[in-house]
Amino acid sequence: MSVGPVAAVRDYFRFVAAIGRSVQREGLSWSASVKAAWDIGVESMPILLVIAGFIGSNLSLQGHAAFAPLGAQRMLGMFVSLAGVRELAPIIAGSMVAAKAGTQMASQLGVMRIQEQLDALEVMAVDPLAHLVAPRLAGIMLALPALVIVATFTMIAAAYAAAVMQLGVGGATFLRFAADGVQPIDFAYGEVKGAVFGAVICTVSCWYGFHCGSGPEGVGRATNQAVVTSAVLCVVLNYLLSEVMYGG
Amino acid sequence: MPLTIPAPEPTPPEAVIEVRGVCRAFGSNEVLKNISVDIPARRTTAIIGPSGTGKSVLLKHIVGLLTPDKGEIRIFGKNIHALPRKELYAVRKRMGMLFQAGALFDSISVGENIGFPLVHHGGGLSEDQIRAKVNEKLELVGMAGFYDRPTAALSGGQRKRVSLARAIVMEPEVVFFDEPNSGLDPITSDTIDQLIRDMKAALGITFVVISHDIVGTVGVADYICVLERGGVAAWGSTADVLKSDHPMVRAFLSRNLDLDGISGNRVPLPTARPQQPT
Repeated sequence: MSVGPVAAVRDYFRFVAAIGRSVQREGLSWSASVKAAWDIGVESMPILLVIAGFIGSNLSLQGHAAFAPLGAQRMLGMFVSLAGVRELAPIIAGSMVAAKAGTQMASQLGVMRIQEQLDALEVMAVDPLAHLVAPRLAGIMLALPALVIVATFTMIAAAYAAAVMQLGVGGATFLRFAADGVQPIDFAYGEVKGAVFGAVICTVSCWYGFHCGSGPEGVGRATNQAVVTSAVLCVVLNYLLSEVMYGG
Repeated sequence: MPLTIPAPEPTPPEAVIEVRGVCRAFGSNEVLKNISVDIPARRTTAIIGPSGTGKSVLLKHIVGLLTPDKGEIRIFGKNIHALPRKELYAVRKRMGMLFQAGALFDSISVGENIGFPLVHHGGGLSEDQIRAKVNEKLELVGMAGFYDRPTAALSGGQRKRVSLARAIVMEPEVVFFDEPNSGLDPITSDTIDQLIRDMKAALGITFVVISHDIVGTVGVADYICVLERGGVAAWGSTADVLKSDHPMVRAFLSRNLDLDGISGNRVPLPTARPQQPT
């Protein structure tokens, strides 16, 4: 993309505003949105389970290594649940969805751009934003919070398994401290983070797809930029949201 | 085979599309320079010229996909670039377009591609009614029985036909063809030209054909607009344009067309220094 960063940001916000106007004008296809949510959830689930599982186990190992010298192994459950529920589950789910669904959105729309299919929709008086982007946006905002819950419990389950079977921490102690470490509001915050990350991943990826350069190289570049930008924005937003939710 | 061109009309029909002083630059590259041209209703107008002269860019301005830096384009009497989205879509429902590579959706079947506009704008047509309309158009483009075929398996010529069927399924008043012959072998290309001629006879609507294939174009067009480096080099009835003295028009036509072979229009190539158009 040859536009400067300021123009790109301005254009991105115009794109987001245009999605809103399209939905207002054309409405939202709920069947397409549910299908998008299902596709995103199913496609991202396997890799999410693997990654969340291993990160959970790793949390146990590192936590145990940090707490054991202090004789505070019992705190392991609290450490895992705090880190997992509040921070890691949303960001891991977001990253996996950016890698799977975000790249798919950017490349699909990029190919549609270079093959003039987006222009064809326009000429057929079918709004591409309402027809292609809005259902994906609604779908990802439904799917990602659900994936955050999956990531949370997978991570805690894997951490529990590692703690109990590998590190010799008592199962009941782990669970009691894990439960004490988080409040119901933490799960709600995780859901909010998931929905925000979903919105960012979708709009960024679709924006890159819509503004794809010509040829296969253009599609490749758009896909690459979509995943990099989405991942960076998710990490930055995670910090900002944590500050708002937990800071002070 | 000698080509037959229609006799010029004393006065062209009223314009359905009026292009007025359209300019467009991409960065420092001026692609359209003060283009003005009228597209007559219920006739076939070809916009021709060498590659890179702005033909497709002009077409994208006419259908409202691009916005000019200067000038205006009126279609059905409305300035297409000043219309709010809802009215713009109302205008677009009255037009169809065949894209250069077809622009078909590969993930759905041939029939679903053609029926796509009907699903969105068919006014509550039942599935059977849509199927019947699609089959009718498939038959019109010589592809009966292709309804359930996967789009991804179509050849280049078949894609153009399906794209044409999709362009006419809403029974539009204007159909645009963006390079209908590009990427096709000469035989398939002739078939597409014949198809355009048949459509013209059958539907009696306005066709706008963008092409650099002068041979095919002369056979289908009532009016020709020749673009040169973003400007209009010649514009008029096909017979008049073939007689143009403009050097670029002569060069372009003579390289692509055996002018002596056109029936009823033996046009000598200029031997003296040609006059510049006024």
